[in-house]
Amino acid sequence: MVKISVLQHAPSVHLPARPGDPTPTTRNLDPLMHPFARARERNRALNAAKMDKLFAKPFVGALEGHIDAVEVLCKKPGSLSAVASGSWDGGVILHNVSERKHIRRIQGAHKGKVSGLCFAQDDRLLSCGVDSKIKLWDASPQDDITEQRPLNEYPGKSAFNSIDHHRSDPLFATASNIVQIWDETKSAAISNLTFPTSTETITSVRFNLSETSVLGSIGSDRTFTLYDIRTGKAERRIVMQMSSNALAWSPTFPTNVLLASEDHNLYTFDVRQLKTPTHIYKGHVAAVMSCDWSPTGLEFVSGGWDRTVRIWKEGQGTRPEVYHTKRMQRVSSSIFTADARFVLTGSDDGNVRIWKAKASEKLGIITARERAAIEYRDTLKDKWKHDNEVGRIQRNRHLPKPVYQAAKLKRTMLDTRAVKEERRRKHTRAGESKPNAERKKVVITEQT
Amino acid sequence: MASSVDSLFVKAQNTTLPKSLRPTSPPPDNVPKHKHVKDLKLRTKLNRQAAHAARSKALVEDAELLLTNEAGKMQVETELERTWRIGQDDIVQSASQEAAKGRRELKLDGGPYRSRYSRNGRHLAIVGNMGHVATFDWQTGTMHAELQLQETCRDITFLQDQSFFAVAQKKYVFIYDRDGVELHRLKAHIEPTRLEFLPYHWLLASVGNNGFLKYQDTSTGHIVAEHRTKLGACHTLAQNKHNAVLHLGHSNGVVTLWTPNIPHPAVQILAHYGPVVGLSVDPSSGGRYMATSGQDGVVKVWDCRNWKGTVREWTTRGGGAELEWSARGALSVAVGGSVNVYTKPSIQTPHAPKAPPPLYLTHPIPHRPLTSVRFCPFQDILTIGHNAGLSSILVPGVGEPNFDSMEADPFENKKARREREVKGLLDKIQPDMITLDPDFVGALAPPTKLTTAVNDTHDIPFARLPRLERLRVQGKADETELVDDDDEDIADGDADKNAKPQSRMEKEKRKMRGKGKSVKRYLRKQRKNVIDPTAVAIRAKLEKQREEKRVAKAIENGSMEARKPSALDRFRRP
Repeated sequence: MVKISVLQHAPSVHLPARPGDPTPTTRNLDPLMHPFARARERNRALNAAKMDKLFAKPFVGALEGHIDAVEVLCKKPGSLSAVASGSWDGGVILHNVSERKHIRRIQGAHKGKVSGLCFAQDDRLLSCGVDSKIKLWDASPQDDITEQRPLNEYPGKSAFNSIDHHRSDPLFATASNIVQIWDETKSAAISNLTFPTSTETITSVRFNLSETSVLGSIGSDRTFTLYDIRTGKAERRIVMQMSSNALAWSPTFPTNVLLASEDHNLYTFDVRQLKTPTHIYKGHVAAVMSCDWSPTGLEFVSGGWDRTVRIWKEGQGTRPEVYHTKRMQRVSSSIFTADARFVLTGSDDGNVRIWKAKASEKLGIITARERAAIEYRDTLKDKWKHDNEVGRIQRNRHLPKPVYQAAKLKRTMLDTRAVKEERRRKHTRAGESKPNAERKKVVITEQT
Repeated sequence: MASSVDSLFVKAQNTTLPKSLRPTSPPPDNVPKHKHVKDLKLRTKLNRQAAHAARSKALVEDAELLLTNEAGKMQVETELERTWRIGQDDIVQSASQEAAKGRRELKLDGGPYRSRYSRNGRHLAIVGNMGHVATFDWQTGTMHAELQLQETCRDITFLQDQSFFAVAQKKYVFIYDRDGVELHRLKAHIEPTRLEFLPYHWLLASVGNNGFLKYQDTSTGHIVAEHRTKLGACHTLAQNKHNAVLHLGHSNGVVTLWTPNIPHPAVQILAHYGPVVGLSVDPSSGGRYMATSGQDGVVKVWDCRNWKGTVREWTTRGGGAELEWSARGALSVAVGGSVNVYTKPSIQTPHAPKAPPPLYLTHPIPHRPLTSVRFCPFQDILTIGHNAGLSSILVPGVGEPNFDSMEADPFENKKARREREVKGLLDKIQPDMITLDPDFVGALAPPTKLTTAVNDTHDIPFARLPRLERLRVQGKADETELVDDDDEDIADGDADKNAKPQSRMEKEKRKMRGKGKSVKRYLRKQRKNVIDPTAVAIRAKLEKQREEKRVAKAIENGSMEARKPSALDRFRRP
């Protein structure tokens, strides 16, 4: 006898049970059923990289209102939409970023430039200016947005450059030619923390976000100094090759600090070991004027004198995301919003611009299916980034012609210097001249 | 207050834990550890990737549980019974009603008929030599289009699915809509005889009486390649579904393999003593086996990986046979007045004597000539085209039981068809990716050779070296995955035991500069034909030394006993 069975497919398994039901899918993961699997996946990765660039529209909007250049931006802790900006004409504006309206508009807050802004507790704003005055304003939303009178005024001895508020206590720190700690209830500074032998101007001072008694400051003498309120003095100071323009403590790694330097680079230092920076971020072609960490601690934004805004990944020192516009001149301040989705930049043309942190991100409601597709495309791009074509599409950035030419010239000059040094080394006695690590060239000395 | 708390609770039910916090299965064993990588971050990333790959592999093995359907079979229980004795009537009786529908006869007049199934096996296109063309859904019996073209039609193929089909008519190729509306006249394809559609590249290929092989992209309409075969009119064409290479059979017995990127055949084999009539490539082994039949009556099965003679060959009674391989590795041979089916593994194992393999099933068809055999994908059905129409027979065990809906689904509805078409267009592979070996995508490129290197040192300053060379100079280059091509060359020639291991740079230097690959090939050919007595002697000596070493090692292991000294030892040859 013979056993015969002929293949058949049960329609009940493959057709929907009721009209309107989704059709059941069957999978067979045998590689013979899926020819050209890798070539097709590579095609999808290529399309994903191209789509990323197709949908990259980072500019969201501009907040106007200032007459002169915007000098400083500050975001309100605990709020997603309140951002204060101070400009060269002495005006301070408190913006509602999501509605793009002004909550408060204070014209003539200071005579001269507003050099520093920070938020105190309970909806109050502190501003300092080059007219040696610190003023405390009410920042709560009110009907009359052009209220001009400050809640309190603290006179100082010299022009202030920067101000920062303590995380929880009613203290704030200011930077002029000295670093001072003020109490909100007292009209004079309560302590002077300056490094004993320093005769420089301090350009920026910041409280650490986790270890709230620790302060960091940068000065015109190419220094970075650490202070502690509990000891009441400066702890340590390093002197670098070139001065820094901005300082930002990492929100997730308390010992990391980011410095935006005049030599076109950004440096992260671990304050436990200040001899060498942990990372060097090279990309700007002119001085870096401002920097700020994302709340996730994985990214940061920097704005430069070369009219570009760059968004970097922590640990990756080259090829950041670059934003530029013809209308945006020198970028003097840049901050991340508290949800890490947007970047705000203030520039010399008097506008505060809102940019997306991820240029091709969709801002509306994303369905679960869409999110799954986006995640799949991100994984594909990551997997195939070493492929020539896919990698090139992801890495290339469009730069304005002057920036591109400047970068090219800088590259040529640095290359020739490196080659010359190597040729010199080739013709000296073996062992007498050794190449120096890039990291060791940054810090000249460390002082306590 | 309570309602807001409730709404919070409802929202919490819809959230998912981030992937990094989800419990992972215990790390699989046999995962490479990458201990030679010094950088901690890179090592962690590589280890994580390797663990993920191992887990995915285990899941793919588990996914065999998803395969719910079983293949057909025909098993004899007694020694005296043979499977080929069983006729179609018995098979139809033991098959279910649905399956028995596959046994049908289409009595048509219109010349000898050729047929083609769509990729999912649901739709059938038939063409008769006199110009009768029909496409229909054979399972439901819905006719899509029926045309009387009143000119010679030589072949038909569906394009990406049942919505378009192309007919090789007397002078040109014409493309028709699902309903039979003529859409395009492809005037570049002149006097076509056979057509093939490459579904993943969206290429329509045709060969004709003028000896040209032309590839046309059906999504953009461009002619991608036109190759002169220089071997005259061609009447046999087959596609290797796994690497999109086209196999052509010519009238001088030569089988050639073509890709759109090379103007000459990639491989050329002298297969038969007369014209090649039948040609098919085995999909069940990834395109490893090819069957050819010639007008001399011989059917040969070749191994496409190494082309070292036939795996199997036998003579059939009758002239040229039509061949087709099924998805599960069964070969159907239609010759003379009957169709024979042979199955794995006998058809694929090397067999020296020229006897035909054991027969699985046979079916006589009185109408000669038998012009085409086609297996229906995902069914146990074989459709034979002959002079008086078409016959479908049931052959248990040849159809793939579990299909993948993403690739080809016999039960797809209108929406699924549209989605699949769009996704197929987005994933269209460029024709310059077609090669004999489809696995090169994503593989490491061979290391670039810095030809200015002399004795491992370079003239170029360190700052201007390419990255791999800089890492090599620093001693940090990781070359665990590099394969040295030169080792393969040396293995072919005589391995001199005393030659010291040459460094890569020395090998580069010793390579003849300025001599191209073709000269090298020619010189090697000259060398191989010459029998050098010294070379033969050295080879024999080496062989003897190797044998002695092997015996000594075996004696040490204890697997072989040492030869006891005997008086006759002095007569043994050294």
